[in-house]
Amino acid sequence: MKILVCLKQVPHQDARLDIDGAWIKEDGIKFEINSYDTYALEEALRIKDAGEAEVVVVSIGPDRVTQALRTALGMGADRAIHVKDAEVDGSDSLGLAKVLAAVAKEESPDLVLAGLMADDDNASAVPPMLAELMGVPSATSVMKAEFADGKVTVERELEGGALEVAELPTPCVLAVQTGINQVRYASLKGIMAAKKKPIDAKGAGDLGLAGKVGAGAALAKVEKVYVPPKGDGAEIIEGATGEVVEKLLGKIKELGLL
Amino acid sequence: MGTTLIVAEIQNGAIREASYELAAFAQKIGHDVKSVVIGSGIGDQAEAFAAKGGGEVLTVDQDGVANYSVDAYAIAIKAAVEATSPDVVLVSNTPIGWDVAPRIAAAQDCAFVSDVFNYDDGAFVRRVFNGKLDARVTTSGDRVVATVQPGAVAAFEGSTSGSTKPLEVDLSGAAAKFVETRVAEAKGVDLSKAEIIVSGGRGVGDPEKFPEVIQPLADALGGAMGASRPVVDAGWLPHEYQVGSSGQIVAPKLYIAAGISGAIQHLVGMKGSNFVIAINKDGDAPIFEVADVGVVGDLFEVVPALTEAVKAAKG
Repeated sequence: MKILVCLKQVPHQDARLDIDGAWIKEDGIKFEINSYDTYALEEALRIKDAGEAEVVVVSIGPDRVTQALRTALGMGADRAIHVKDAEVDGSDSLGLAKVLAAVAKEESPDLVLAGLMADDDNASAVPPMLAELMGVPSATSVMKAEFADGKVTVERELEGGALEVAELPTPCVLAVQTGINQVRYASLKGIMAAKKKPIDAKGAGDLGLAGKVGAGAALAKVEKVYVPPKGDGAEIIEGATGEVVEKLLGKIKELGLL
Repeated sequence: MGTTLIVAEIQNGAIREASYELAAFAQKIGHDVKSVVIGSGIGDQAEAFAAKGGGEVLTVDQDGVANYSVDAYAIAIKAAVEATSPDVVLVSNTPIGWDVAPRIAAAQDCAFVSDVFNYDDGAFVRRVFNGKLDARVTTSGDRVVATVQPGAVAAFEGSTSGSTKPLEVDLSGAAAKFVETRVAEAKGVDLSKAEIIVSGGRGVGDPEKFPEVIQPLADALGGAMGASRPVVDAGWLPHEYQVGSSGQIVAPKLYIAAGISGAIQHLVGMKGSNFVIAINKDGDAPIFEVADVGVVGDLFEVVPALTEAVKAAKG
């Protein structure tokens, strides 16, 4: 069984967000694997641990993405594909899905795993798009996946704690929800072993997508980002801890709760 | 004049409130409005939607779409797109919407924008970086599929003289199958009736700090302890403590959020709170937008001190 895991490298969740042009300034901030995608990778590694599977990770982005792929290899992925091409930069979700679909066509995976959304653009778009382009079923918000006889039974998280159970033939694309598993850390042994594992670099031309993806082909474009206008917001209480606590206590008393 | 196609959604036998919000959102765009309603035995629901903002409502009324499954719904929505040639397709950003809408955009090779909360001067507006920034998104091409955040706009009020029209689709190509829906299990911790909730988030930093710092304040106030999603995902507390759209929806008299930044899915779960106190070291955290009172500071100083003060006040 071959599993393709789609990873995105995103700014660290605590990174400082300074606006630069239509997005944020990337210089000088830390990046990490998108939190949702770490659960997708873990799910793939668990399938590998339980039987026979090759886990291939793929990521799109500049040189910095190498670090994310090394981390994934250190956690136990077998090999990596790095789509690194200025012609791909600036793609919208559909452009990224086209790139991943071209990789999937070369790899013919039995299963594609990805995270439900990315912590930076919060789009939740690429995995179902990838499935549509591959012509296979998909499921999002996956909290459980069980494989048997060329089928996968998934539990999808609905609102208010309800679950939907669905059955999909393989190959298919699953977009996993956070909390589906407990994500492992890369061991020192794993990190050492990862140094010998291959990272295969590809460009738009290699994938037959020259001119079809990237900023020029994007149909959805972020025109600008900005700090949300402050509404009424909270009354901010300032001062030494003692003063702050006195004021909070006063508010709680006003509510009649003390 | 262009056309906007609304994909209405049925939940518990009725058109969802979010679908009436799409009808209102469509008015902002200003096109002719058409809709599609998908399900089995849905004539009355389609009539209701046609009379309240849905315009001409296509009904895909077949056994094969009695329950949601991604392939069957995708087939039905694609057929409605074919039949109406819309400029804009609006879908609610619900577990159904985010599952199927990107597929429609990919099949149409058209623009896609997700989880928008406004349409302003030709651009869709949405949140990015978990609510820390807003983004204006413009689209090009003949068509755009957009998902709209439930609750972002008020539902359509008023009446329209719509009509309904059946749309037959061939579902034989649907590979994914619906098995069952399971309702939420009874909670060991029922936060929905709690009058006071003290919740901790990622900022608490360590599972051991919940019994040491968060629970004592909840106990002192006679309330319950809750948590945000990252805490539950990390395995620090069981799911039954989770407040949010995928956890418990709460409406206490007092909600204290400690070390919670305020991701949208958390805000959806606690916005019914009567009074909110937020304590967070990041003054830009979105939680301060919904809080009544905020403390920009170290929760490990403020929370234990508040716990002692509450105990002293109660004698």
